[in-house]
Amino acid sequence: MTLKVYADRMSQPSRAVIIFCKVNGIEFEEIKVELSKRQHLSPEFKEINPMKKVPTIVDGRFKLFESHAILIYLACAFPGVADHWYPADLFKRAKINSALDWHHSNLRRGAAGFVLNSALAPALGLPLNPQAAAEAEKLLSASLGMIESFWLKGNGRFLLGSSQPSIADLSLVCEIMQLEVLDEEDRNRILSPHKKVLQLIEETRNATRPHFDELHAILYKVKARLRELRVAGTMNRGNPGSRTELQSKI
Amino acid sequence: MTLKVYADRMSQPSRAVIIFCKVNGIEFEEIKVELSKRQHLSPEFKEINPMKQVPTIVDGGFKLFESHAILIYLACACPGVADHWYPADLFKRAKINSVLDWHHSNLRRGAAGFVLNSALAPALGLPLNPQAAAEAEKLLSASLGMIESFWLKGNGPFLLGSSQPSIADLSLVCEIMQLEVLDEEDRNRILSPHKKVLQLIEETRNATRPHFDELHAILYKVKARLRELCVAGTMTGDRPSSRSE
Repeated sequence: MTLKVYADRMSQPSRAVIIFCKVNGIEFEEIKVELSKRQHLSPEFKEINPMKKVPTIVDGRFKLFESHAILIYLACAFPGVADHWYPADLFKRAKINSALDWHHSNLRRGAAGFVLNSALAPALGLPLNPQAAAEAEKLLSASLGMIESFWLKGNGRFLLGSSQPSIADLSLVCEIMQLEVLDEEDRNRILSPHKKVLQLIEETRNATRPHFDELHAILYKVKARLRELRVAGTMNRGNPGSRTELQSKI
Repeated sequence: MTLKVYADRMSQPSRAVIIFCKVNGIEFEEIKVELSKRQHLSPEFKEINPMKQVPTIVDGGFKLFESHAILIYLACACPGVADHWYPADLFKRAKINSVLDWHHSNLRRGAAGFVLNSALAPALGLPLNPQAAAEAEKLLSASLGMIESFWLKGNGPFLLGSSQPSIADLSLVCEIMQLEVLDEEDRNRILSPHKKVLQLIEETRNATRPHFDELHAILYKVKARLRELCVAGTMTGDRPSSRSE
């Protein structure tokens, strides 16, 4: 029975899991769960994952959520996955685990919080929140600075001084890519000081092409749509009719 | 060279790592880094961990921080650690990993946020923040509910239906124990609806005694001290001398 991956490509951790499968030739069926259409709240999906989150995988009868746990499981359970993704060496593996742990409360929290509260919220039927966006931006900038000065120390092109990518690179870079939906001014202000981070994105894109660009294409569509809506001034939070229109075009 | 564990017993993940070492007979040296005295901000500790956080371990030339990464490393690298702490079975291991991941943005964020903003902040020179405390309490209660209804489903008394404890039980229970510094009213309001969670704490305490109670003793001292300070009305956030005391 083929591996099933329940995902929304707008979800950063969903993209990391799908890219990982494609790069490593893992056969799977992608089942779309569209967050903007609230499909993650359906009774059917609740049977798959009571936590109502993507990504979730179903491997035979085995169900698993949380993208880091999924990436580790796939790296260990599927033959043919190159060692550098999640090395058997306990020291290297521990460092990757620490980057993945650090990610939750730092880059993830800052990036997702900023993008949601300054751009994406209306597409999910929520109000923009400038105060929350400002707090999230602080954490996001501090996190990018930590990646630039600490996690990217060393000779390699990837995190932890490595010459080859690991699941940590995939997870963190997919998170940073979410900034593509922001308007240019915000994105440049936040990202351009961090040259090594920008290089990490390129290296990860190269190491996982063409899948990286294929999976991230959705962000550029959403960015264009958000811009149209801002220009047209039709971002009406209180009108369910316009919300449905938004969703069908995203 | 002995394993060094840089820790503050007031830090929930520090306690989890120390209890794990003691239960499994792992030899180590505990080096106290007192957060309330800002020792984690010293240049010496920055050499050990530029992220300036506890717990951190140093094993020979190898430095590691983030308690889940530390627990996994110790479980795999130290002989004599029983399999149930972090099973070799990939399915069981994956489920434990998913709880540990879930923990960061749910129980950890809710519990630490609530305790800090409603009780502990003055001891660290910060103001109390009732609004942040209220938001954190929502997340904390939702997380305890998730543990009660989802993570504790199954036949065993431990997380994921297991009959024996894993590093996930240790991590989450040490977090919940932080609620011991709260006043009785807050603690009961938040914890008493969750019977299975209360049972999980007891089971974990039993499985790791006497170390569990030894490591958590500090919380009761801090609770008593916070009560004295509240009563005496001397909780000022800006007097270093009273903080050191």
